[in-house]
Amino acid sequence: MYPRTKIHRRTVLRGIAGATLCLPALEIMGEEVRGISPRRFCAIYTANGMSLPNPEHGIDEWRWFPVTQGPDFEFGKSTEPLSPWRSSLSFMGGLYHPNGTKADPHVCSDMWLTGAPLHNPKPGTYNSVSLDQVIAQHTKQHCRQPSLVLSIDAGVGFLSRTGTISYNAEGKPIPAENSPRRVFERLFQSSQASLSAQRDLLKKRVRLVDAVLENSRLLNNQLGQSDRERMDQYLTSLNEIESRLIASERWIDIPIRQQDRSHLQLDASPEGEPSQYYRSMFDLIALAFDADLTRSVAFMLNREDGMGISDTFPLKIGLSRTHHNLSHAGDKEGQLEFAKYDLFLSQQIAGFLSRLTTYQDADGSVLDNSIVLFGSGASTTHNPNNLPTLIAGGGKLGLKHGTYWHRDNTPMSNMYLSVLHALGIPASAFADSTGPLKDSIFAV
Amino acid sequence: MTGRIAISVMFLTVMRLTVLHLTTAAAFCNNASVLGATDETAQVSEEFEQRIRPLLTTYCLRCHNADNMKSGIRIDQLDGRLEDRHLFLWKDILKQIDGLAMPPEDEKQPSAEERQQMVEWIQRGMNLAKSRDTKRNGSVRRLTVSQYRNTLKDLLGLRENLADVLPPDGVSREGFTNNAQTMVLSPLQMEYYFDIAEKSLDLCIVDELSKPVIQNFRVDLGTAVNDAPCPDQLILGADSLLLNNDEFTVTELQPVRPFDYTPFLMRKSYDFIEGYAGNDTVRGWRHFDSIYHSVFACMRGTRGYPLGQPYCLVPGGLLLRPAIPSTEVFGQSSTYGPMANFKVSLRELPDHGDFRVTVVASKYQDGLLLNSGAPMQTLPDSAPSNSSTVVADMSAGPDSTVHIEQGGVYQVDVCYQCDSRQDMLSLTANDRQFSRQIDNPEFGEVVETEKQTGGSVRCSAFMLLRLTTGPLKLSVSHAATTRIRKIILTLLPVDSDAARTFEVFERRTPLLGVHLGLRRDCGSTLTPVEDPVPVHSVERSRFVFEGAINDFPTPDVEWDNVNYLAGFREIGIRSEYTDGRALPRLQIHSVEFEGPLYSSWPPETHRRIFIDSSVREHPQAYAKEVLQKFAQRAWRRPVSDSELNLIYRVWENSWMETGNFQQSIKEALLVVLTSPQFLFLTENSSTPEPDMLDSWELASKLSYFLWNTAPDDRLRDLADQNRLHESLSSETDRLIRDPKCRNFVQEFASQWLSLDKFDVVEVDQARYPELTRDTRKQLRQEPVEFLHHLIQHNLPLRNLVQSDFIVANDVVADYYNLAGRSESGLQFVALSHEQPHLGGVLSQAGILAGLSDGRESNPIKRGAWLARKIIADPPDDPPPNVPQLMDDPGKLLTLREKLELHRNQEGCVKCHSGIDPWGVPFETFDAGGLLKKQPVEAHSTLPDGTQVHDLTELKALLATEMLDQVAFSFLKHLASYATGRSLTYNETEFIRENGRQLRTNNYRLQDMIHFVVSSDLFLKK
Repeated sequence: MYPRTKIHRRTVLRGIAGATLCLPALEIMGEEVRGISPRRFCAIYTANGMSLPNPEHGIDEWRWFPVTQGPDFEFGKSTEPLSPWRSSLSFMGGLYHPNGTKADPHVCSDMWLTGAPLHNPKPGTYNSVSLDQVIAQHTKQHCRQPSLVLSIDAGVGFLSRTGTISYNAEGKPIPAENSPRRVFERLFQSSQASLSAQRDLLKKRVRLVDAVLENSRLLNNQLGQSDRERMDQYLTSLNEIESRLIASERWIDIPIRQQDRSHLQLDASPEGEPSQYYRSMFDLIALAFDADLTRSVAFMLNREDGMGISDTFPLKIGLSRTHHNLSHAGDKEGQLEFAKYDLFLSQQIAGFLSRLTTYQDADGSVLDNSIVLFGSGASTTHNPNNLPTLIAGGGKLGLKHGTYWHRDNTPMSNMYLSVLHALGIPASAFADSTGPLKDSIFAV
Repeated sequence: MTGRIAISVMFLTVMRLTVLHLTTAAAFCNNASVLGATDETAQVSEEFEQRIRPLLTTYCLRCHNADNMKSGIRIDQLDGRLEDRHLFLWKDILKQIDGLAMPPEDEKQPSAEERQQMVEWIQRGMNLAKSRDTKRNGSVRRLTVSQYRNTLKDLLGLRENLADVLPPDGVSREGFTNNAQTMVLSPLQMEYYFDIAEKSLDLCIVDELSKPVIQNFRVDLGTAVNDAPCPDQLILGADSLLLNNDEFTVTELQPVRPFDYTPFLMRKSYDFIEGYAGNDTVRGWRHFDSIYHSVFACMRGTRGYPLGQPYCLVPGGLLLRPAIPSTEVFGQSSTYGPMANFKVSLRELPDHGDFRVTVVASKYQDGLLLNSGAPMQTLPDSAPSNSSTVVADMSAGPDSTVHIEQGGVYQVDVCYQCDSRQDMLSLTANDRQFSRQIDNPEFGEVVETEKQTGGSVRCSAFMLLRLTTGPLKLSVSHAATTRIRKIILTLLPVDSDAARTFEVFERRTPLLGVHLGLRRDCGSTLTPVEDPVPVHSVERSRFVFEGAINDFPTPDVEWDNVNYLAGFREIGIRSEYTDGRALPRLQIHSVEFEGPLYSSWPPETHRRIFIDSSVREHPQAYAKEVLQKFAQRAWRRPVSDSELNLIYRVWENSWMETGNFQQSIKEALLVVLTSPQFLFLTENSSTPEPDMLDSWELASKLSYFLWNTAPDDRLRDLADQNRLHESLSSETDRLIRDPKCRNFVQEFASQWLSLDKFDVVEVDQARYPELTRDTRKQLRQEPVEFLHHLIQHNLPLRNLVQSDFIVANDVVADYYNLAGRSESGLQFVALSHEQPHLGGVLSQAGILAGLSDGRESNPIKRGAWLARKIIADPPDDPPPNVPQLMDDPGKLLTLREKLELHRNQEGCVKCHSGIDPWGVPFETFDAGGLLKKQPVEAHSTLPDGTQVHDLTELKALLATEMLDQVAFSFLKHLASYATGRSLTYNETEFIRENGRQLRTNNYRLQDMIHFVVSSDLFLKK
C-alpha cells in the first residue's frame, strides 16, 4: 500500500456560475480523525433485462435469478463469476417501480434510478432526481467531485431512450462521460489554470458576501427596536456561507493522495474490446472511491432498445445477435445466448468487486463501506416487474448479505430509501416510496 | 342602475368614515383610562395571587402542569398580568370553567361560588387587557417565494422564472405562507439567493458592443403548399405520423429590426450513425443535408378519435379537432392523446432569452358531424327534390353539382354501400371538407338488399351544415370497397332543435393553444406557452404566444451527438379540448418562431439598469446614478447615503481592479439583490408604542397585500410625496381593479381554503373517472375564480356560502352537469345554476374532493375545515397517534356509527363534538365532490343545538343567522394575510366587534378589504 497523506478531505468548486456552490462544512474535516470511513454508492445499470428463459426450453440453470430463495440460494450459470462474494452480496427479487408498469416500457432506463411518473409527468418537467444525485447532495462536501456520471455513450441520449441514468434535483439529465481518459483527467489532473480560476471565483464570492454582511449590519443598526430575530437568522446564514467559502479556498491546493494507477488502460474505448473498456471504467471508479474523490457513481453499461454501440457487444464477444434482439428472443438458442451475455456482464461486475475488495479503508475494505447496486429496469425485455437487482458491499453499513431476498411487488423506491438510510442519510422518503424495506438485508 | 351604484358608493364612504371615527374614539378612550388602569392592573394582579392561583392549583394543576400538559395546556406559567401571549388561553379557560366543561366529572369539583369567582376575575382581567395598547416593535418578514419571484420579475423586466429552486415557504396555523413567525432562512436558501441574483443579472445585462443572434422561421401548412418537397422519405421514430413532404414548407426569415443582428440559420448538414427506420436501428454513418431533416411537421398520437378525422390538410391550412389531452379519458397510459396534436419538431432553438410563437389561424366554417344512430331527416324513398330537399345522385361518379335554392341549415344524409367493416367517408362541399368513419356494421338503416353483390345499401345521418343559395359541388372519396349512392340535403326549419343545435355549434370558438416541450418516443412533454386563445373569426388572424425558453424543458443534447432522434424540441399547436363538446375545427395556416426576442438592442432589461443619463460619459457619476436608481426601486424606498456609499464602494473596487464598467455595476447590483433591504419587508419602529407606518412601508404593505409584488411607480410617487395615507382608500380601489389583483386572490384563496389538499389527493380513477388531470386543474381554479368574481363585483359575503350562481368554464360546468348552460370555453364566467345543492365554496368539488381520501367522503376533514376556515371556531390539533377510522372486521358499521365509536373514546370527544356536526351535512357529497347517487343521511345537530337536515340547510344557516361569524372568519383570515402575521387577542376582538358594522351593507367584499386596510392592525407598526 502507498502511504496516505493525513489530510485529503477537500472540495473543489465546480461551476460556480451555474449550479449551487459545493460547500464543505468545517466540522466535516474531522470525520477521518474520528475514524469514520467514507460511505459510498455505485449504481450500475444494464438495459433490456436479464435472461429468464422459458421453462419449456429446459435451461433453468441459466436463469439470472437463483432458483431457490433465501440463504440457501445457488448461483445460476450466468452469475457464477460472482460466487466468491457470496457473503458480500444478495439477490433482490420482486422489486418494481409502480410508475414503471404505467409507462411505455422503453422509459425503464430513464426512471430506473428516479421512479418518476414518466407516463404522466408534471408539466414542464423532464424527470425527477435520481438516487445517486440525492446521495451526492449529502456527500459532496466530503469529497472533490459530488458525483461521477458514466455511460457507454457520452451525453444524455434523449428522453425515453436515455444515455444517462443520472438526473439532477430539477430532474434534468446529467450528461455522462464515456472516455476513460477524460474521466481520468477530470478526477486526477486539475490544471493550474482551472485551480486559479476556481480561486478567483471564490474570492469574488467572498467579497460579495462581505459587502452584503456589512450592509446588513448597517441596516441592523438602523432597525432600532424592530424584530431582530429574523435579521439574526439572515446574518447567521451569511456568516456560515462566508466561513464555508473561506474553507473551500484553503483546500484547493491540497494534493490528491498517491495510488498505484499503473494498471489503468486509458486508451480503452467503446469501439474497442468490450471487456477491456468496462474494466478500465470500473478501475477508475475503484480508484476514485479509494482516494475518496467522489462518493456517488452512476454507470450505464448499455442502452435500451438497441441504441448505441453497446447493442453490438454480444456480436463482438462471439454471440450471434445484437443485445436488443437477444432480449427479444423466444427460441432456446437465443435465450441461451442472452444468458451468456449475462455471464459476460457478471464477469465484469466480479472484476469490479475484486478491486473494491483490494482497497482498504481504516475499518475494512472499500467494498465493505460501499453499496454497489447492479440491475436492470426490466426483468425480461419490456417487462417492468420483478426487476433483476443485485446489491453488493456495505457490510460495514449494516447490510446482512448472502441471500436471495424476494417479496412480490415491492416498490423499488423503498429499497432506495433503505440505501439512503444505510448511507446515513436521514431521508423520510424517496420518489414514490412507502417506507424502507422491512425484513430485508438492510438493518432497519 | 347607475343610481344604485352611486348610492352604494356614497353609503360605503359614509360607513368607512364611521369606522374611522369609532377607531379614533376607541383610541381616545384608551388614553383617557390610562391613569386609572394602572391602579386596576395592580389590583387584578394582587387578586390573582390571593384568590385565583390557589383555586387553579387545587382544581387544574394536577393535569395541566409542565410535565403533564394534558391537551397541550399548562397553567403553571399563568400570572395576574394577563400577558398578551396568554390571552387566547385565558379565553379558553373561561369557556371551560363557565361552561362547566372543566374540571372533568370524575375530578374534584370547585363550588359554585369558587367557579363564579374565577369567571368574574378572568372577565375583569380580560376587559382590562382589551383596553390596553398592544406593544408594537415593527416587523421584519422575508418575501415569500412567490413574492420574491414577482418582485424580481417586475424589477428586472425579466420573464424567466428563476425562483423555483427556492425551498417552499412554511405554512402558518392560519394556512398562510407569508407569516413572519413561520418563516425561516437557511444558508442553503441564502446560497440560492446569490445564485438567482447572479443568473438574473447575467440574463439582463448584455455586451453593448456585441450583435444579438436571432432565430426566425415559419412553417406554412396546406395541401401541396410545398412545390419543392424534400425527396427523401422522412421518418421520425416509430409511428411518427409526419405530414406528407409537400404539405408543409419551412422558411428561414430575417425580421426587420431597428438594430444590427446576426440571423441564426439552422444547421442542415448532419452525419448520424443511429436513427430509426421503422423500429430498426440504422447503423453506419449517413449524411443528411436538408432543412427537412432538421424541422418536421408531426401529428404523432394514438388512433381512435371518437368522431371524424382528428386532422385534415386543406389548401392553405391544417384543420384540427380538439386534442384530447390526457389519455386518462380513454383509460390508456401513454403521454400522447389521440392524434390531433400538431407539433413542429426541430433540432435547434435558442438556449436563452424570450421567444415568440406566432400562429396564423382561423375558425373553419364547419359542419357538425352527427353521432352514430342519429335520425335521418329524409328517407331515400320519400326524397323528391324540391326547395327544401335536394338529392344528389352519386352513383355515376364521385362528383355531382346540385343547386341550393334556399340558404339555411341543412342535414346531410348519405346512402352508401360499404363492403368492408370500416371506412372513412370524405365529403367535399364547395371546397369545404368533412369526413367521418363508417366503422360500425350497425351504422345506418338497411333499406334494400342488392342480390347481385350480397352487399346492402345503408342510409345514415351524416352531419349538419350551413349552405348558401347557389350551386353546390359535392364530391366524395372513400375506399374502393365503398360506393356512395345518394346524398340527401334537407333544409331544417329555423326553429327545429337540430337547427338550433347547429347554431350553438357554429357560434362556438375553437381554442388555440401553443405548447413547448421535448420529443420522446412515448409522447411529448409539452408545457403550455401562455393561456389558450379563442379563435373567433373565419378570417385569418395572427395570434402571439410568448415565453422564456428556459422555463421549458431543455434537451441538453451533446455537441457530438450521433443519434438522428436525439434532442428534438417540439412546438405543439392544438385546438384545446374542453369537455368533449363539438367545436368547429381550427385551421392553422402557419406557425412562426422568433427568439431570442428583442425589441431593441441593448434590450429593455439592460436599459432598465443602464439608464439614459446626462453623465453617461463620467463613470463615477454615472455609476452612482445607476446604483441609486436601481437600489431605490429594488428596496422600495429611498436609499440612505451610507447605504449608497457602501454599494458604490463595491463598484469602485471592481472598477479599479478590472476597468470593466458593466461588470463592476453587476458586482454592486448583486449586493443590492441579496441584501436584506431587498429580501425583507421591514417596518421599522423605534418605540414600543404603535407608530404609523411611513409612506414607503405603507406602499409596500398595500402592494404585497393586494398584488403580491412590489409597489408600482404611482404608489412609489405617492409615497415619495408623502400623500399615500390620504389617498389610501382610492389607491386600495385602484389596486383591486388592477389585473395584478389576481395574484392576491390566487394566493389568498388557495391558502385560506387549503386548495393544496386537492393538489395532492390521490383520486381513485375507477370510482371517479371524470376527475382527469385536466379537469382537476380547472376544478382547482374554481374557488379562486369564484372569490375573484365576488371581489371584483363587490358582492355580499353571503355568496361565499350560498350563491345562486357558480363561476365556471365549460369544463367545470360539465363536471357539475351544467354543460348546457355554459358556452365560454376555458374562461370562467358566472352561471346561474338553479340547483339547491350548488353555489358557494362549500359545495365546490375541488374543496370537497381535497377533503377526502380520493375514495370516500370524510366528514371529519370537512367538518374541521369548515370550523377552522369558514366560521373561525378552530378545533384543537388532534393528539398524536390518532388511529384512522377503522372498519371493525366483525361488524359493518355505518359511518355515523363509526364516528360515534370514535367520538366516544376518551380524549376524542371534546374536540370531535366541535367538528363532526359540521362535517355530517356534507355527507350527501361523494369524494369527487358531487351529490351521491343514493340518498344519504346527513342530518346533524350542531354544537349549539340547531338542527340541519343537510348541507343546503347548513348553507342557509351560515348565510343568515351565522353570517356575522362567517364574516368574522373571513376578516380574521384576510387581516392575518394582509399583515403577514398571526393576530393578537385584542386584534381578533377588535375585528369581532367592529367588523359587524359592515353588515349594514351586507358585508360586501371590497368593504371588507377596506376595513382591514384602514384599521390600526394594518396601518400601525
